[in-house]
Amino acid sequence: MGKRSAIFLSIALAVCLSVAGLSSSSFAKEVVYLSLADYTGPIAGLNVPGDMGLEDIIKETNAKGGVDGVKIKFIGIDTRYDVARAVSAYKRYRRTPRLLVVNSISTGIGKAVARLIERDKRLQIVPGDGEFQAHIQRTFIWGPAYQDAFAATLDWIMDDWKAKGNSGTPVVGYLSWDNPYGREHLRGGKEYAAKLGIKFLPPEFFPPGTLKHDVYLTRLAKAGANYIHAGGVDPTPTNVIRDAYALGLTKNIQMTCDYWGPTALGIGVHAKALEGTVITSFYQRGDESKNNPFVANLWKKYRGSAKFNEVYGMGMSWGMTYVAGLKVALKAVGYDKLTPDDMYKAYQKLAGFDKHGIQGACAYSPTSRRGSLEVKIYRVKGGKSVPITGWRKAPDAVSLHKF
Amino acid sequence: MKILKIIALCIIVPGLLFGAVSCQTMQTSGPKATLQVIPAETFLSPALFKKPVTFKGTGFGPKEMITVEMILPPGMKMKGLAEGENVVGVALGETDDKGNFTAAMKPIATLNWFFQVGWTPLLKPNFKEARPIPPGVYKINATGLDTDRIASSTLKLVPPPKKKK
Repeated sequence: MGKRSAIFLSIALAVCLSVAGLSSSSFAKEVVYLSLADYTGPIAGLNVPGDMGLEDIIKETNAKGGVDGVKIKFIGIDTRYDVARAVSAYKRYRRTPRLLVVNSISTGIGKAVARLIERDKRLQIVPGDGEFQAHIQRTFIWGPAYQDAFAATLDWIMDDWKAKGNSGTPVVGYLSWDNPYGREHLRGGKEYAAKLGIKFLPPEFFPPGTLKHDVYLTRLAKAGANYIHAGGVDPTPTNVIRDAYALGLTKNIQMTCDYWGPTALGIGVHAKALEGTVITSFYQRGDESKNNPFVANLWKKYRGSAKFNEVYGMGMSWGMTYVAGLKVALKAVGYDKLTPDDMYKAYQKLAGFDKHGIQGACAYSPTSRRGSLEVKIYRVKGGKSVPITGWRKAPDAVSLHKF
Repeated sequence: MKILKIIALCIIVPGLLFGAVSCQTMQTSGPKATLQVIPAETFLSPALFKKPVTFKGTGFGPKEMITVEMILPPGMKMKGLAEGENVVGVALGETDDKGNFTAAMKPIATLNWFFQVGWTPLLKPNFKEARPIPPGVYKINATGLDTDRIASSTLKLVPPPKKKK
């Protein structure tokens, strides 16, 4: 080969490498987090503050140079709570280099995306679907499963019933959205009620967007409910309890809620109607969250005087877990060899990871998909969510159901 | 002659390399997939909640998840879509053993992407904030999420008929 040919060949090779480099469109060390979120749809009220917390953890991490020099890129997709849009968006981003974690904001989206996550050897996090604990795969839940939390509520109900001097067991009613989320609590929760000897009334389901809930509430009240558990994402439970209050039911019936029960969003509008409502939560709520120094500092730094919602802290927890997982994955394989599967393996090593009091310690392991095991019970008092218990381990209700 | 060879080398080799990089998004081989939009022409009305736009496809892989997407014309904005984003998923299907599927738009998809409603804190669609998408011919793609097979068709949205006085 002549000297001139060698020079031209070198140039050609340089061009080739440039093209390849441009095609991968990445020069800096970067990993990606995809949020299949709802920013303008039905549950935007809670998802927006949640992703604010997540984004602020990412900003903070990147501002400090990233994780071992690796920066985190956040991609937020507004699905407007639509499963079809979420799957289409996942299709668009599934081949993004080093897309390590996907957060699916609804039970329905999580179930649809799960199949693709398995195929792509990635991991996703979802709200509280116990099915993903029953069948261990690549989908992790944010805290204890919905049915675990419902079982913890039933334990509290039993304690409350006895503390009020009653004998026997109470009658419990349940109403929630007519969708996979609404039914999930009972897949194990119902079995747990039976185990406690609680008389569990036939559940009532209503479509999201229902304006008045009088019919369902009246039916449960007439059936003799001593306690009614109101599901749905705030402000739905707030509106259910508003209706119960207007019907005069809250005088004799204790209302309870799950993770998505009244937050600052609902309590700010219907404090009087919500007075006394009991909420079972895997993350800190109300002033307890607002005054958590770790949460307060980040909020002050990035959000300033905006109106605080406690779901912000829960979003921080998603981010902290991602950062912790990334550290483990990078330590195991380094950046160049890092694949989504390495992050999946890393998440299973996070058991015991401390979340600064925002929620219980991480419980992810090869046999656990629960983000934490503990819940705390709050009561609405004087327009605020006030803790009435410490962190307590939620019963394993998932194992009681045949999935 | 030498120069010609070198120029050819400079064009062909990067071309091959670029092709190799982007081939991951190309359609894989297999039978030709088809897509039918039912009805192919309609107008926006509440009747779409009772009888939604439906998509029928053939030629995909067996037991495969299908995403049905609407392609927006350049410059068109849609609630929930980021600047420059021109694809929105409107339905989700699953094929049978023979690779055929039928998928209808769910009410939430019709509300979000056809009527572009707002949502009230009561979780009710807010039609006061609705910005219905303009009449036009919209390309529809159905993609198999295992095989990457794509079938295309169109949906023509026409203006609603004028009310009789």
